[in-house]
Amino acid sequence: MPRKNIIELNGVNKSYQNFKALNNLNLKIPKGKIFGLLGPNGAGKTTLIRILNQILIPDSGEVLFNGEKLNQKNIINIGYLPEERGLYRKMKIGNQAMYLAQLKGLSKKEAKDRLDYWFDKFEISNWWNKKIEDLSKGMAQKIQFIVTILHDPDLLILDEPFSGLDPVNSKLIKKEIQELKKKKTTIILSTHDMNSVEEICDEAAIIHNSNKILQGKVSDLKDQFQTNQWKISYKGSNMAFTNAIWGGWKLISHETINDINTAIIELNEKLSMNDFLKGIIEKISIIEVKKNTPSMQDVFLKATTNE
Amino acid sequence: MSKIGLIIKREYSTRVKKKSFIIMSILGPLLIVGFLAFTVYLNKKDSNSYKILMVDDAHILNGKIRNNSKEKYELFWAPEDKSYEEAQEILKKDKSFDILLYIPSNITYSKTAKCLYKSIPSTAAQKHLTSIINEAIELYKIEINEIDEEAYRSIKTKINLDVIDIGNAENKNIQRKAYVGYVFAFLIYIFIFMYAVQVMKGVIEEKTNRIVEVIISSVKSFHLMMGKIIGIGLVGFTQFIIWITVITFLSISILLSTSTEKNSLNSDVIQENVITGTNPVLANSNEKIDQISQFLLYEIDWSNMFIFFAIYFIGGYLIYGSLMAAIGSAVNEETDTQQFMIPLTIPLIFSLTMIPHVIDNPSSSTAFWLSEIPFTSPLIMMVRIAMGIGEGGVELWEIILSIFLLFTTFVFCTWISGKIYKTGILLYGKKPSYRDIYKWIKS
Repeated sequence: MPRKNIIELNGVNKSYQNFKALNNLNLKIPKGKIFGLLGPNGAGKTTLIRILNQILIPDSGEVLFNGEKLNQKNIINIGYLPEERGLYRKMKIGNQAMYLAQLKGLSKKEAKDRLDYWFDKFEISNWWNKKIEDLSKGMAQKIQFIVTILHDPDLLILDEPFSGLDPVNSKLIKKEIQELKKKKTTIILSTHDMNSVEEICDEAAIIHNSNKILQGKVSDLKDQFQTNQWKISYKGSNMAFTNAIWGGWKLISHETINDINTAIIELNEKLSMNDFLKGIIEKISIIEVKKNTPSMQDVFLKATTNE
Repeated sequence: MSKIGLIIKREYSTRVKKKSFIIMSILGPLLIVGFLAFTVYLNKKDSNSYKILMVDDAHILNGKIRNNSKEKYELFWAPEDKSYEEAQEILKKDKSFDILLYIPSNITYSKTAKCLYKSIPSTAAQKHLTSIINEAIELYKIEINEIDEEAYRSIKTKINLDVIDIGNAENKNIQRKAYVGYVFAFLIYIFIFMYAVQVMKGVIEEKTNRIVEVIISSVKSFHLMMGKIIGIGLVGFTQFIIWITVITFLSISILLSTSTEKNSLNSDVIQENVITGTNPVLANSNEKIDQISQFLLYEIDWSNMFIFFAIYFIGGYLIYGSLMAAIGSAVNEETDTQQFMIPLTIPLIFSLTMIPHVIDNPSSSTAFWLSEIPFTSPLIMMVRIAMGIGEGGVELWEIILSIFLLFTTFVFCTWISGKIYKTGILLYGKKPSYRDIYKWIKS
């Protein structure tokens, strides 16, 4: 039976001099999924990514890749787009893409064939002899993305892949990520952009203060932070709304725009939305009632700040 | 190709294709040869024309002056009735005169003549004037002592001192050979500096570009560092070979073209310069050029020089290159390197300044230790090797020990640098202190 997880970290610790970057971290990253790696700045994400890339060695604990101890042979299986992008500014784009691809282990011919394919696909074949310094930041990012995925890695680690990209290019990269997922590539997406997490991630983990504090499917995580909050849009008197029912609920926020009032309320366990509506339905004209589901942004904030 | 091979190839090919490399390959030797040729030309030009007004209050020199270099030193006797003071006025007013040479009446006792000038005459000119006055006074003295001039001439001798090693007669004039070593040491100094600094700049470039993280996710950081050091070292070697080829070609052409020119220098002066080696650029006489050609062709063991240049350049460059790589990895920008560069530049500059002392005392313990200590040996040992290997010169065991120490230190420096590099390359922000770096090495 094939293994379910591409990466397994068991009790991984890493310290720098007087600072503990990862504390007894256990993490399983499922195969073929897009996995969101979330956490505030300085939480230990970069250290974790560097350990997966074998740039750093953990002080203790084990890292398994497809069930085997992570080793130098796995370099070809992993693609890495660091947050701080960089290419040689004065080297021709084609030459440096060839160089980086060969460093990953591709032969010269493989590298050339695959680069031709991707340059054609992204319609940038005429950039081959240009230098990075001649390109805009977004254009350079496209090159960096190609270089990262060129060797068809099983695991792709993308650190803030959309930062600095315009919406068109951002969409293009998201589409490519989805395509890669279809080809069974596992993608670790480290980002602060929670909308992207909701949009494309299947699972996510939140690391905070060197510890993993949450992990699960994105939908499960949101459920976990579900509250009994509702959004009610209506027309009518505010007073009538607030006087309708005396107990069992509290008003979180209220605003009026163009005669339409929007209230966010939280019900306690004893009061159902049906009962609440019964109390107000005759005094106001309801436009919309919607359960307020938490966004990943809410999940992140609650998990990391105990709000 | 192995990954380290790919890195070496990239470092090498991107650098040798750069315009600056091609320009330096042509311009470097042209500048060196051009500078030497220019100095020779200036020297020739300078030594050409002195119009000298002579006042002889002693009345002993007339007819006894043997000026065998009339083209350069034109002597004019001031009229008998002109006093020293009046002659000074003439020198001041008459633009055609450069020097007033005054022989006081008591010259035979005071042994001091006066040379008044408008712009200071060269040391060669001063020597020439002293020698013609000396000779004239000697002739005056043999006259009054009734000594036969022929006998005087046969007694008066000028000898060259061939300094020969008793153990090895081939070891002749070793101090003169040392100057060839000096040139090689200087080249090592230039090349170590030029290319070790390039290693540092390359590391800083990769760090500030942030490409380093992409690369070290594919190769070990140590391999990246070594690939860079070796690649750039090969660029240095290529440039050295180009320089030597161009310099040899240019020098041969210049030597051939100047060998037809007339000798216009006083042979005494040349002789003195050749012996002391104080002014090798005065190479503008047939005799001198022949001497130099003979010396360079037959007395210098070029194969030894090139083999040891290769060894000491490689060893020295690897030590300094690896340490510079460590510095590059520790800082965030080039301006931060100053504080770390000073301890590295001092031994190199110190070696350079110690070379004259080593040439003077090749068997001294200073010479021995400086040619064994790996941070100074690449320069100092080149000078000692140029003076001859074996009995009387530098002993073979000294060279072997020095090379052993050089490469052991290289391994040690690379190990330390690798540790600094591994940590430094991933750290941004604050400039590290020596204490931080010590902790990186320890960790």
